[in-house]
This record gives sequence, structure tokens and C-alpha cells, in this order.
Amino acid sequence: MKNRLRPYYPLLPVFAAYLVLFLLGRNVAGMWQLTATLLFYCALGQAFNIFLGMTGYVDFGYVAFLGVGTYGMATAITGLAGYPQLGLWAVALGFVLAMLMATLLSVAVGAVALRLRGAYFAIATIGVSEGFRFLIEGANLWNGSSGMIFTSQLNKLLGRDLASSVMTFWADVLVLAIAVAAAIVTLLYMKSKIGYALTALREDEDAAKVMGINVTRYKILAFITSACFAGAVGAASWALKTPYVFPPEVFEIHYTIEAIIIVMLGGAGTMLGPIVGALIYGISKYYLSIFLPGFQLFIFALVIIFIIVMFPEGVVGVIKGKTRRTAIAPYIL
Amino acid sequence: MLQLENVTKRFGGLVAVDTVSLEITEGEFVGIVGPNGSGKTTLFNVINGVFYPEEGRVFFNGIDITRMPPYKRAPLGIGRTFQIPRPFASATVRENVAVGAMFGFQGRTLNVEQSLEVADQVIERIGLAGHGFKNAGILTPVEKKFMEIARALAMKPRLLLMDEAMAGMHPGEIDNVVQFLVDVAKEEGIAIVAMVEHIMRAVVNMAEKVIVLDYGEKIVDAPTREALSDPRVVDVYLGEGAKEDNADG
Repeated sequence: MKNRLRPYYPLLPVFAAYLVLFLLGRNVAGMWQLTATLLFYCALGQAFNIFLGMTGYVDFGYVAFLGVGTYGMATAITGLAGYPQLGLWAVALGFVLAMLMATLLSVAVGAVALRLRGAYFAIATIGVSEGFRFLIEGANLWNGSSGMIFTSQLNKLLGRDLASSVMTFWADVLVLAIAVAAAIVTLLYMKSKIGYALTALREDEDAAKVMGINVTRYKILAFITSACFAGAVGAASWALKTPYVFPPEVFEIHYTIEAIIIVMLGGAGTMLGPIVGALIYGISKYYLSIFLPGFQLFIFALVIIFIIVMFPEGVVGVIKGKTRRTAIAPYIL
Repeated sequence: MLQLENVTKRFGGLVAVDTVSLEITEGEFVGIVGPNGSGKTTLFNVINGVFYPEEGRVFFNGIDITRMPPYKRAPLGIGRTFQIPRPFASATVRENVAVGAMFGFQGRTLNVEQSLEVADQVIERIGLAGHGFKNAGILTPVEKKFMEIARALAMKPRLLLMDEAMAGMHPGEIDNVVQFLVDVAKEEGIAIVAMVEHIMRAVVNMAEKVIVLDYGEKIVDAPTREALSDPRVVDVYLGEGAKEDNADG
């Protein structure tokens, strides 16, 4: 029994981290806002890690998946506002639509861009989020640049009280649930042939092909999975938490950069890395802007340079290497 | 088992492989010999699908694989090692070798754990026991070569293409590797095609047949002793006229 559960040990530190975070947020006055931000970064990091960490491909247009996810939820809530009997089902349908749209976008982008390698892929994907934003604005999709505000529709569907607790609390809990789900999927991938195939193609794509690995298939699988989670994060954190959406906000490249920093800081391709990265990034960003307002980016740059130089494999990558032969090794992945 | 029919591969104006036909039968040990730039690596790349030829056809066990992508050839039983080892550096030796088992000839029937068991057996057998949990990136160059051979053998190939696998090893090691390969190949019925640039010693010891390439053309295809004493081979290696000085080749 003990042996059969051993592959799932790496989930323990992940769950422990989320539990501590959640309890701190609930029980310490004034902490929920910081907790929510950290949960968002954790979920973002874990979703992105499935692609960036496992394949080694850097998607600079990743925020687009969060963006379309936000629009998916917005569309569902607005469109279903006339059926108040749906209640929470409308939110569920919103998630389905958000993930569906993110999946479709990832298939479209992946089919073209995943033929490119390394820096070429990175450059091609920068165009995706910017292009999508200008498409929405230019073609006047979803109200174009005037965006969508759907607070009243959410109130109609859920009632004022529930809608407000969704915005202030349950949306963040959903983000936590998405982060947990992403962690579980990451582990399942890592422990299956998918993980081995992705590691192989990350390290040497041509050798992987010769070893019998259909690299395109596995890359697209990781890309879609990652995009699907991003869509859900967008729907929960950006649509339900703040029921409005404007193209410049949800296609802001800044979030892609944050996601890359979080994954690299924590350890790309590790299970625990995105959480560690999210906590370091989120906490230092928050407190630096309180104690040294105006200087936070400057100091933050130094912190990041220091960590990247000291731990090129990310914090968890280094810990994993150092603990390989110790008792905690089964928990660090 | 493997047949090439009039295969030609060009790079722009350069004909890297020029109307080559050859046949490899099951369990055979073949050396491919030729100077730098004679088309050996290109020939390997055509056989395992890295390049598709412009002309001619490639058959494996009767199936036309001329334009089949490489990842579909591995499950048919075509394995390959590279001249410069290409380990999956961040993975452990065990995981590297398991990848071979997982996606190779028996890959579909093996789950992850069974693949790791196959990996452990092959690692033990090739003499890398104790290195299994090391990252492949930190192995010495020679250990990397052994690991790459192990990874290819874990694929349980029917045909193993070895690209200059023994370069950089000292003679004692080469003898060991050759003996090891001969044993495994006999046991498992693997045909091995080994590309040899410099190490004639290895060819003479292991190959039953030698194919000599020069400027992309096949000039000799004969049993080893016969091939190596062929005057054309002496020409290719030592330059024309050398045979007068080195009459015994």
C-alpha cells in the first residue's frame, strides 16, 4: 500500500502549501487580498509550467489564453443572464466556454507556431496576444475596445448576496481549485509516458524523434492542457472576481512575463517550483511596494538576477538536486 | 529485412548519397566504411527518416518506409545511436534508457514501470550499474556513449544503426564493447549496421560484411576480409598509388 502511494508523495508539499496559504488568508485579518494574489500567481505558474516547464518552449503570448478565458466567462454570464433559474450552472457553463475557447485558440496557435523551434516560437507567439487584442478592438468583437461589464448580469443570475461573495471569496477559492487540479495533472503527466516524452523532447527534440516519440503530438498536448488551465484561471480570477473585461487589460504582456519569472524562479519542469516561484515573486512584490514604494521594481530586478545566477535551475531544481539521496527526496519533484 | 533501392539524396547540387542499393538481413553485422563526407551519416539519416531521399525507395520488412517520419520507424524496430552522444541531460540514466524501451519496438506493450525494469536490466548488462540514478548530463563522455548504446538496445531494435559509437574509447574498451554487442546481437537477433570512420580494428573484429562508400556511391559490398583487401578500398583510404607501396593492404 505504502509503495503504491509513493508516486503521489510530491502532492503533499503542494497541498500543504495551499492549505497554509488558505488558512492564513482566512484567519489573519487583512490577509485575504494578498492570499488571493498569491493563489493567482500559483495557479498561473502551475498552468504555465505544464507547457514552459515540461517542453522548454517559451510562449510569450500566454496571456491570450487567460484573456479568451475571461471573455468566455463574460460571454456566458451575459448571454445567460435572461435565464436566472440557471444560477450557478451559468458559472459552470462559463468555465466550459472559457476552457473551450482557450483550447481552440491553443490548437490554432499550436498548429502553426509549434512547427517553429526555440526563439522562433517565442517571437511568433508574442504576436498572438497582441494580435488577438487588436482583432477584438478592430473587428469590434465582444464590444471591441469598450469591453464588457457584466456585474448586473451576475447579480441577476446569482442574486446580489451570492454574487458578491463569489466576487470577494469564491472566485479565489476556484483559483485555488484550478491550481490544485493543475498540480494533479502535472504529476499524472510526469509519472506517465507523456512526461518521459516531454522530457526527451525538451532536452533533444531530434534525438527524441529518433527514439520513437511523436514530438508534435506531445508538444500540442502539453500546449492545450496548459492553455485550458489558463482559460479557467482567466475565467475565475479575471471574470468572476471583477466582472468586467477590457482588451488592453486581459492581453497585457506583463502577465506573461510574470508567469515566465514565476516558473523560472521556482524551477521549470518541477512540480513544486511554480508554487515556490509564485510565493517568492508575489510576497516580495507585495511587501517591496509597501516598504519601498517606487523602488520595488529596481530591488526586485536585483533579487531576480541574484536568484537566477545562484539557482539557474530554479529554487526547487537546486533543492531537488541536493536532496536526491535523502529521505525527503520522494516529496520533491 | 532492410532494402534500399537506388536511393539518392541531394543537398542542393551536392549528391550526398548516389543511387545506393543495399540489403541488410536479419541478425547481420555490417560495417559501413568511407572517408569523411562519403555519405555515411546521410545514409543513416535516410534509413531512420531524418531525411527523405529524392529518388529511390527504402523498405523495412517489406513495408515501404521511404517517407515515413522517424518516430514511426522506431516502433518498427529501427534504433540509432549518434556520433556525439545526445543524452536527455536533465533526466537520470535510468529514465533515459527507459525512454528507449517505452517508445521502441515493444513500446506499446510496456507501461512506465515495465520500461524502467527493462532499463535496469540493460544498464546492468552494459556495465553502468550504479549510475542509474545519476543525471545523464554529468556522465563522462565514454559513459555517455555506453548510455546511448543502452538506450538504443532498450528499444529492442531489429536493426541498430550505430554512428561511430566507439570513437574516443581506448582499444581495451573497444574490444569489450564489440564483444558485448556481438553477444547481445546474437542473443536478441539484432542486425547491427555500424558506421566506422577510423577504427578499422572494430570493423575487422565484428563485421561479417563491409559496405564502402565514396563520394556517396557504394563501391564495395562484400564479406569483411575480401572488402578490406579490395584495391578500391585502399585507393579510397590511402589515395591512389598507395597500393604499390603497401601491396599487402
